[in-house]
This record gives sequence, C-alpha cells and structure tokens, in this order.
Amino acid sequence: MSCTVRIPSPLRSYTGGAAAVPGAGATIEEVLAHLERRFGGIRFRMVDEQNRIRPHIRLYLNTSEVTALSQPVRPGDTVHVICALSGG
Amino acid sequence: MTLSAAERARYDRHLALAEIGAAGQERLKKSRVLVAGAGGLGSPAALYLAAAGVGTLGVADGDSVELSNLQRQVLFASADIGRLKAATARERLLALNPEIAVIAHAVTLTSRNIREVLQGYDLVLDGTDRVNTRYLINDACVLFGKPLVSAAIHRFEGQAITYVPGRGPCYRCLFAEPQPGAVASCAEAGVLGVLPGVLGAIQATEAIKLLTGAGEPLIGRLLIYDALELRFTELPVARRADCAVCGEHPTITSPRDAGESCDAPDLSSVQRLSPLALRDRLASARAAGPLVLIDVREPREFATRHLAGARNIPLGELGGRLGELAEGGTPVFICRSGRRSLAACALAVRAGIEAPAHLEGGLLAWAAQLDPDFEVASG
Repeated sequence: MSCTVRIPSPLRSYTGGAAAVPGAGATIEEVLAHLERRFGGIRFRMVDEQNRIRPHIRLYLNTSEVTALSQPVRPGDTVHVICALSGG
Repeated sequence: MTLSAAERARYDRHLALAEIGAAGQERLKKSRVLVAGAGGLGSPAALYLAAAGVGTLGVADGDSVELSNLQRQVLFASADIGRLKAATARERLLALNPEIAVIAHAVTLTSRNIREVLQGYDLVLDGTDRVNTRYLINDACVLFGKPLVSAAIHRFEGQAITYVPGRGPCYRCLFAEPQPGAVASCAEAGVLGVLPGVLGAIQATEAIKLLTGAGEPLIGRLLIYDALELRFTELPVARRADCAVCGEHPTITSPRDAGESCDAPDLSSVQRLSPLALRDRLASARAAGPLVLIDVREPREFATRHLAGARNIPLGELGGRLGELAEGGTPVFICRSGRRSLAACALAVRAGIEAPAHLEGGLLAWAAQLDPDFEVASG
C-alpha cells in the first residue's frame, strides 16, 4: 500500500533533501521499516530501542496523532513526521 | 487609557479595523509583552509589536550583536556589532515608536531570574535558540499563568503555536522533554534569513490577537511552514493529562534549568580537549592510553572531511551503538562546533563510560587553530 511520508527539516539529510517521499506498508511500523530500508538510520532518529516514539518527535497519520506503531495505514494516507526545532 | 491625538494618527489604520478599533488599540497600549530572544524571530516580532503600539515591550537577550546575525536579525545594523542586543534593540524600537516604553533585559534567562523577568508582563513571545531555555520559558509561563506565543526555525522550516494556560496544551504536551543535541542549531545547520521574518510576524500577529481579543488564536494547532515548498501545514495538539507541568499530577512545580533535573548526567568527568590538546594526545597516545575518535556528525558532513582514524556514529544513532565503544580506549567525541560532541559525552556518562572526552569548539576550532585548509561541512 502506498502513502506519502512528509519529512521534517532536521531529517532531510537522510532523504537527499526531499521534503516528502513515497511510503509503503499496512501499518506505521511497516512504513517506518520501509523508510529505513531506503534511508538507513532514519528510523532510529524517530523511534528508540524500545520502539517508543522519541520525545522530540511526533508522528501524525493525516491529521491524527499516532499513538501506536501498529496503527493501520491506508493507500493515499499521509504520514507527517514532526521534529522539535529550537532555532530562533 | 485613552489615545492622544498623535497616537490616533499613528494607529489610524488599526482604528479603521472593526476588530481592533479604539478599544483594541487602548488595550494594546496598556499591554506589557516580553520578547524572549532578540534573534531572527525576536527581531521582526519586536519591531511589529512596537509599531503596533504595545505599551510596554521587554526584550530579554544576554548576547551581543555579531556580524553573522545581520543576515536575518533585522533589529540590528552593521554599526551595532559588539553591542548588547537588548540595549541596542531598545534604542531601535524607541526610534520606531517613541510613544511606547521598552525595557532591556540583558540577561540569559535561567531558573534563578525568570520569575523576576516575567512577573511584569501579560504575555511572552519565545524566540530563543536553546532547547533548554524553551522548556524553562514554557514551564514558567504555565506556572505563572502567562500566555506564550512560541516559534522555532531550522534551515527552511518553521513552527509556530500559541499556548494559553488552561485553554490548551503547553510545549511539554507537544514535546515531552528536551533531547539536547538531537537537532542541530541554526549555527550548525544554517537558516534562510527571511524564514524567521515569516515566523516572527506570525508571533506578533498572535500576540496582537490575544491582547485585543480579535480572531482565533493558534491554540492547540501546530503551524508548520516549509519555505522551500511554500507550504503551510496545520496539525492538532491536545493537552496531555500526564504532562509534567500542566497535567493532572505535575512533577514540575517551579521553574528549573534542564541541567537540574534528577537524571541529568554529571559532566564533571568529561575531558574537554582543545584542538592543541587533542593533537598532542594523539601524538603521545601510547603514554596516556589509546584514544578512539568518534565523529558524531551526519554522514554527509563526515564525508566532506574528517580527522584521520575517526569513525562515524551520528549522534542520533549513538544511544543504540554505545556498546561498540566498550573497548579500545577513551572515546573522544567530535562534531562541528562542540555541542553535539558534548551531548554525546552525556550519553556516554549515562551509559557508564568513565571520563569520555570531546573536542571543545569542534572541528571549526580545529580548522581555525591548527589547519586552515580543513573543510568543515555545514551541519
């Protein structure tokens, strides 16, 4: 299943600068695994060793916050990755 | 608080707006707003709030103006380099609008002074550039009941959101706790000069709306601006019942600096090596024991140029790969400016690695002091 993943500025070094990349997977976990295969190292910037979303990261499925990585993803969905910024 | 004839003339275009009018302009006149951070965000925000007639503006910033600020910090001019930002901002804002009062707070906000600085203000704008200061300001605003208009920037992206205690989430509801070093600063990563102009203007807009009661504030809505795609995205943010400061059972009951938290690592054992000291230690490593150079920058930065013998473990991956450092000698963490490497030391100390080292000032210092041809990639 295909979706779109929007990448925050601090993680675009992994995607060659791309702000949005095609995603694949039936759940958020699968979408992240697919991302990791394409852009090695990016998943660990979002999810820790215990599979918890890092405290400075938020994931949204369309306009709803993702609270479990098992959440289903449907074709055409957009996964937003939000990262805390601190520049002023 | 009525308006003088000169003020009525100055604010004529506001008076023509039904949503502001004379009543709203008088509310602005008696309002007191603190702009925390006179940088890329604080500059346009303070200028617009001064122009709009906010009666008392505070500007809190302990830094001095540097040449590299002028690409985006429109409060300052070339002649201001080396001057205190807070005092310089006060002069500039009063030149723009002598009808208002401007208070310069030439301090870095800490847990020791934040109560005193904030107490005279109705509303706070956060445009600071340190992660820990953002949490400090948020916590203080929640605890003292001050509305907070927050914005932050990175390269071509900006975020803005308004927090009003009791009416929505706070910053900790959005991002529960700081993760120092996880996100590069503007100094390391760069920033489009006009980007904070957009976000700072949004902060000023929010402040004026909150003070006059006009419109719908950005409460519980995170606004994300992507300048490269010219795209605004809005996502909902809910208050968290388990928030450490505004939740049902708060554990933060007074402002504190992030370094004071109970689980903050003790960095007193960290060896802070100057470029010269590192070079000498590398040359005589046999005597003092072997060093393991760990470059914690991103792979792209590492590829541009790195110190001979260094391994690349980006800071974001380090937590899961500390086991790789268990043997081989004292780890010396290296990055561009010394911020990420110090965060790496904190991770190492927390994991039980004794006396890790880092290159103070990073590779920028190495290039400046030892090797002018050493190319340091932008973060």
